[in-house]
Amino acid sequence: MSDRLAALLRPAALGTLAGLVVLAALPFYLTDFWLLTGLFAMAAALGAIGLNLLSGTTGQLSLGHSFFLAVGAYGYIWFAGDDGRSGTHDVTGLGLPTPIALVAAVLLAGVMGGLFSPISGRLRGMYLGVATLALVFIGEHVMNNATTVTGGYNGRAAEPMTFFGFTLTDREPHLEVLGIEFGAYERLWYLALVLLVVGVVVARNLLRGRPGRALGAVRDSEIAAAVMGVPVARYRSAAFVVSSMYAGLAGVLLALVFGRVIPDYFGLALSIDYLAMIVIGGLGSVGGAVAGAAFVTVLPQLFAHYAGALPLVTATGTDGIGPQEASRYLYGAAIVLVLLFSPGGLAGLARRTAAPRRRAAGHGATSRPRTKEPQGADT
Amino acid sequence: MTHAATTHKTDAEPDFTVPELAVRAVTVRFAGLVALDAVSFSVAPGSIHAVIGPNGAGKSTCFNVLSGVYRAERGTVHLGDRELTGLPPHRIAALGVARTFQNIVLTQGTVADNLMLGRHALTRAGFTATALHLPSAVREQHRHRERAREIAEFLDLGAVFDQPVTLLPYGVRKRVEMARALCMEPKVLLLDEPVAGMNADERLRTAEAITAVRDGLGISIVLVEHDMGLIMRLADEVTVLDFGRRIAGGTPDEVRQDPAVVRAYLGAGDDGDNSGNGRNGDNGDARENEERQ
Repeated sequence: MSDRLAALLRPAALGTLAGLVVLAALPFYLTDFWLLTGLFAMAAALGAIGLNLLSGTTGQLSLGHSFFLAVGAYGYIWFAGDDGRSGTHDVTGLGLPTPIALVAAVLLAGVMGGLFSPISGRLRGMYLGVATLALVFIGEHVMNNATTVTGGYNGRAAEPMTFFGFTLTDREPHLEVLGIEFGAYERLWYLALVLLVVGVVVARNLLRGRPGRALGAVRDSEIAAAVMGVPVARYRSAAFVVSSMYAGLAGVLLALVFGRVIPDYFGLALSIDYLAMIVIGGLGSVGGAVAGAAFVTVLPQLFAHYAGALPLVTATGTDGIGPQEASRYLYGAAIVLVLLFSPGGLAGLARRTAAPRRRAAGHGATSRPRTKEPQGADT
Repeated sequence: MTHAATTHKTDAEPDFTVPELAVRAVTVRFAGLVALDAVSFSVAPGSIHAVIGPNGAGKSTCFNVLSGVYRAERGTVHLGDRELTGLPPHRIAALGVARTFQNIVLTQGTVADNLMLGRHALTRAGFTATALHLPSAVREQHRHRERAREIAEFLDLGAVFDQPVTLLPYGVRKRVEMARALCMEPKVLLLDEPVAGMNADERLRTAEAITAVRDGLGISIVLVEHDMGLIMRLADEVTVLDFGRRIAGGTPDEVRQDPAVVRAYLGAGDDGDNSGNGRNGDNGDARENEERQ
């Protein structure tokens, strides 16, 4: 038991705890705009953790992540929704209780990932990437045409999450905590936070355990992995299933945050965004995926919000560089800077700033060979 | 160095008898090129068997067939009663055939991570149990990590157990690969050029380690090597390949005197210098090693 206590008092554990407290306190201070941004970031973090397991850890390039996000989002809408009309289309739904619909949507995304495994098991590298591209195009077509499920081009509203009569909306019941009115975003915030913590813990456990080692071996050499007793094809498809389930969960969360899901959102650009998240965050690192998701989601908003205050930036609609353009330049520059100066991404940056401190504290006292660590070798 | 042998029984499967490895008339062809041509040999339980031959003789192809990476076009490989030919590599690994690679193939992470990968077939924890951190998975990981540490110490890797492999020098990484193979608790250990690129000191340590593994664990070892000195010292039996064919076999002394071997392997013409002289063979191979790198 004292071991547990000691483990809880480690700097890293204390830091995590402090971070969680801050995240839990944010709804009391943030405006709706920033809450929304934070919710997007948390949903993106879950999706990025999934893609990272697939591309970062197992080395399977996927451009089809947005497809699995869409499966999660529309899966939830269909499982939880009722028969009725959405815009000009008749829609159907199973009308399941929303928490069950969430689980079912995640499982559905996993099944879709599994169904793709005959293809993913036969293709590697760029070829796999291009094959996953097909998923995005098929997905777009299905989303626009399977109107009874998706509501077509104009999308379909998502049933708000309800736990035993407590809905994650602005009313029902009216809720006020410490003088702050708890609306939909505040309530969703805590759901997202819980899901994110569970997602991070699960991914960490996987990576530190037997499956994670096998997946890493598959990335580094399929032949060596097989010779070590790893059934390579099974692990490759398992990585796809787990990754798709994370994407599905992210999709459900996005559906809840948006309130209404449109097909246009789940395009190729979204897949690229997720690839950017895991590369910026640091391939193969769970914390990196979360940081990368926050970077890609929050930074453009932050720049857009404060760009007006920058010198030389003119008001929107006049000549010169407006706040929108300025924020894009800054965002682009930030990406390039991170990748140039830390090939290991944000996770690599964190490791390198932490390493000298740890050495000074006397950990890692075993004699280190004087070879210089190759950059990005342990990402 | 032999304490691993005494604790060996704790984790290994109940029947740990080392069966004979029998290679019978194995033929491998790559688009018309015959890489192995009806090669046969057998590895007696608990012996060290060397496979030698000039570059391109088919030694590595032979290893790839034994470990299931390549499929034999004809012929069979048996481990005791079990036929290995046609099985996928991970099944062969689970039956107790472990190997190392000529060029080191380690995964990112620490020495411990790599050794634990060697325990893959001996452990059960799946995605769900690991993701949920179930006690069974945690206990299993803990138990096997202890065994991996024992094996690391057995090969003098205890001090670097928690270090990233990318930070380790070449010779040590080579030893990590051997330790990883040993972590599979194999019945047959295939070592592909275990001392290639090593300095004299490292060669000596590896040779000692190989003997210790054989004496301590009683497993069979198949060795592909260019270092003739090492082979003459260690091997109980030698199989000589040339252009995919088995041209000779027997004890190191017999092979050394075989005219076909002298002609094919040590070079025709100056057999007066080379035959029966391990040192010269050694030098010749050092040259070959350099060429390859």
